[in-house]
This record gives sequence, structure tokens and C-alpha cells, in this order.
Amino acid sequence: MKNVINIMLVAFALVLNSCGGVPEEKSETVGSENVFSVEEVLEMVAKENDVTRTLYTKAIVGKGKLQGMKFDEDWRKDNVEAGPLPALFLRGVATSIRKSPVPLGLYLGSDFPVNAANKFEGKQADLFKQIKKDQKPQFFYDEEQKLHTAMFADLASADACVTCHNNHPQTTKSDWKLGDVMGATTWQYPKDSLSYKETVEVLSSYAKGTVDIYMEYLDEVAAFKESEKPEIGNKWPEEGNYLPSAEVFLDSVKKLSSYETMKHLVVAK
Amino acid sequence: MFKVSPLRKRQFLGGILGLVLGITMFYVFTLDAAEQYVSIGPMNTGHEELSCVTCHADAKGNLLQQIQSNMSHAVGAREHSVDFGTQDVTVDNCLQCHDRPNDRHPTYRFSEPRFSDAIKEIDATTCITCHSEHHGERVSVASINYCMNCHQDLSVENDPLDVPHVTLIANEQWTTCIQCHDFHGNHRYEVPVAMKDTIPLKLIDGYFKGGEDPFGTDKKYTALSELEWLKQFEDK
Repeated sequence: MKNVINIMLVAFALVLNSCGGVPEEKSETVGSENVFSVEEVLEMVAKENDVTRTLYTKAIVGKGKLQGMKFDEDWRKDNVEAGPLPALFLRGVATSIRKSPVPLGLYLGSDFPVNAANKFEGKQADLFKQIKKDQKPQFFYDEEQKLHTAMFADLASADACVTCHNNHPQTTKSDWKLGDVMGATTWQYPKDSLSYKETVEVLSSYAKGTVDIYMEYLDEVAAFKESEKPEIGNKWPEEGNYLPSAEVFLDSVKKLSSYETMKHLVVAK
Repeated sequence: MFKVSPLRKRQFLGGILGLVLGITMFYVFTLDAAEQYVSIGPMNTGHEELSCVTCHADAKGNLLQQIQSNMSHAVGAREHSVDFGTQDVTVDNCLQCHDRPNDRHPTYRFSEPRFSDAIKEIDATTCITCHSEHHGERVSVASINYCMNCHQDLSVENDPLDVPHVTLIANEQWTTCIQCHDFHGNHRYEVPVAMKDTIPLKLIDGYFKGGEDPFGTDKKYTALSELEWLKQFEDK
């Protein structure tokens, strides 16, 4: 009887082992050499964000408004024919990133937000005071969420930022000036260091987020019933009632930001 | 081939019987037709027609592979453990059908550090905090005063409501929020400007329990059906 049990146990172990395990996820086994700290990667993607947001704010919102284009916080509502304001453009990018497999979090806040729900509290409020003084990024580890967190100054980089926020009916501060630290972006990532592949994935998810929200804006334009539709193609609002296509918009972002990002990636490689 | 000691006969027969019963039960309960008996409770409103696999996807590998992987993980021969049987249900499962660009309270927003105190009260980073499945209802929160966790400082410029929002907040009338505003903001309807026209709490309560929708049936986005959900994968 003992022999039978032993034979059965050995047979079971053999069968079990002969199946092989479930393969480890590729991303966990391939290219696992971590070459960037999370701080470096978040600085890279924050830089891309600065360039993208400035381009959108200046060249699309600022110049577009001069052409009579509308941008509204309620742009998604059925009865509103408008594009997203820069803060909502960023929210759109953040939403798209969240849908991707990349575990990157992106948020925008301020000490004087238009929407009270975006006011910094706790640790973020404390760090934001320092950011307002020196405009330098702040890094910390969020113990509760177990996420590495970085905050970067969000500057009033275009006239449109200043005029819209100063004149907004819900504004909590009406003396913003060009160059002021109006708020900060907060970025989160679960690992303390990233492989080359993971870094590129973070940058790609941000770029895809930009395209996604910009495409949503173009879809909104296509559905305009009463407002005049800008022509979508190679031209920009400064030339008239035009909007660049998503490819043209992203190309411009790449031209403006790719050198800095590439420099980091190439050096690490 | 081998002899069973007469003293061990009962144990042997019991073992064989247990094995046969176990295999039979495993076979029967994993049949599609047995889904309703396996479910731990009635599906929530709108989910009645869904099959288990819509949320409970099979875990990677077969059962033997999963056992081996987890045993390897237990003895340190493997970095990660694997799901056993079915994959864990996460927010991503919910969003595959319920993701909407107009969601005014998307779960991901609450991962930001400034919501850390609020999510200790109500963990809005995950759908199941309010929409616990298998209870045959819509919303499963204990109390509908949850807005108080984030909106204590709210004030509305040119407030259109006959009783200003600041007054409602000062009086801690937190159950009044939902009488005008649906949490996810997906309904098209006229928001009342007089408290007397707001949706009675009784109707809200009935709605949460799975009853008629007091915000109306005109929605900007509707969740995917199982067929539409499946189609997403065909297209990929």
C-alpha cells in the first residue's frame, strides 16, 4: 500500500511538473535591466507635457480664440460646441493613460483652482508651497498608495492662461501674471526604477494620450451643428479658421520636445 | 495489483468515493448550465444577462500549471504568483463596458494623494466600493452622504438653487446632493432649481436597490452588452 501511495505521489509530481508553469510575463523577464530612476523618467515625461500643453494653449486655444473658436469647461456637454480648455486637455491625456497598461498617474492641481475639487491638500499642499518658491520639482513616496510621486510647476506660459483664469466667474484669484506658478502637475508610478522599454512605454502612453484627447476635440468639431467648423489639415489657427490634424499636432510636439528626451534616452542606452 | 488491508477497507472506499464525487462536482459546477448555482448571489441590475466569464476570465495556464507556478512561488523559485482558476476582477474589467469620457468621478482620479483621507472613508478608487456585485441591486453604499468626504468647501457662484449650496452644506444635508446630481454625470436631464422639485429620497433609495431610474432614461453613453463587449476582442 505504501508503495502504491509513493508511486502515485511521484506520478502526480511528474504530471504536475511536466506541464511547466505559467510563463512569467514578458515585460518582467525581458529588458529587465533598469536604467532610469523613476525621478528621471517622470522629469522626461513632465517635460513632454510642458511642451504639449504650451503648444495647445498658445497655438490652439490662444490663436483659436482670436479666430472666434470656442473653448469651454463644459465642452463635452451636448449643447456646447467648443474645445477643451488646457486643464481639461490634460485631464483627457490622464484619462487615456489610465486606460493604457502603463501604470502612470497624472493629475493637475493648484492652491487657487477654478474648480474647488482641484485644490491641493495635505502633503501636496505643503510641497506646492516650495514649488512656488523655487519652481523645482518635488519627489516623495506616497506610502498609502505605494506610489512614487513627483510634482512639477505648471506655469502661466501663455496669455490665454492668465486672461481666462483672471476673468473666470468662479476664479479664486484674479491677479495672475504671465510666468506665475499657477499650479502643479502630479505624476505617480509604482516602481523606483524603469527599464529602457518601460521608459519608452511611459513616453508613448503620454504621446498617445495627447493624440486621443486631440482626436476627441476634432470629433467634437466634426459634430458642430451651429458653429462654423474649422478646416482640419496642415494649417494652424494663426493662419485663419484652421486646426492642425492630430498627426500635424503631434509632429510639432515631437519637434519641440524630442531633442531633450532623446538626449536622455541615448545617454542611458 | 495491490491488496487493501481489511482494516483499511472503509478508508479506501471513502477515499475512492471522495475522489469520484470531487471530480463529478468539479465537472458539473464548471458547466455553463450550472452558472446560476455557482453564483454567490443574484447579479446586479443590468448585469442579469451576463455570463460568468464576462468578469471572471479564466486565469492563464491550466490548473496543473497554476498549481506548479504557485508552488514554485511559495518556495521562492519564481518571482510572481499566478491567478488560480479565474483572474481577479478589477476596475479594468468594469471599465471594459462602463468606461465613459464624461465620467465626472472616474476611479483613477482618487489615487491622487490629496484624496488619501477621503478614500479612507469611501474608497472611490474601485467600483465595487459602491457597486458590490451579486446583490441584485445597483448601488450598495450604506449611506448616501458620501459627497461630504470631498465637497465640504463647495460654493457655487450665482447659485441657481433656492436653498444655496453653502446652506445645504452648512446644515450637513449631504443626502440632498444625489437628489439633483447623479454621481457619474451620465444622464441628460434638467437639474432642478427648487428644493421642492428635487428627486425624493425614497425614489433614490429604490433606484439604488435596482428600481426605476429617477434621473430618466436619456443617457449619453450606455454600457456595452456582452455581445458588444465580445466584439471588441474580435476587432482587435
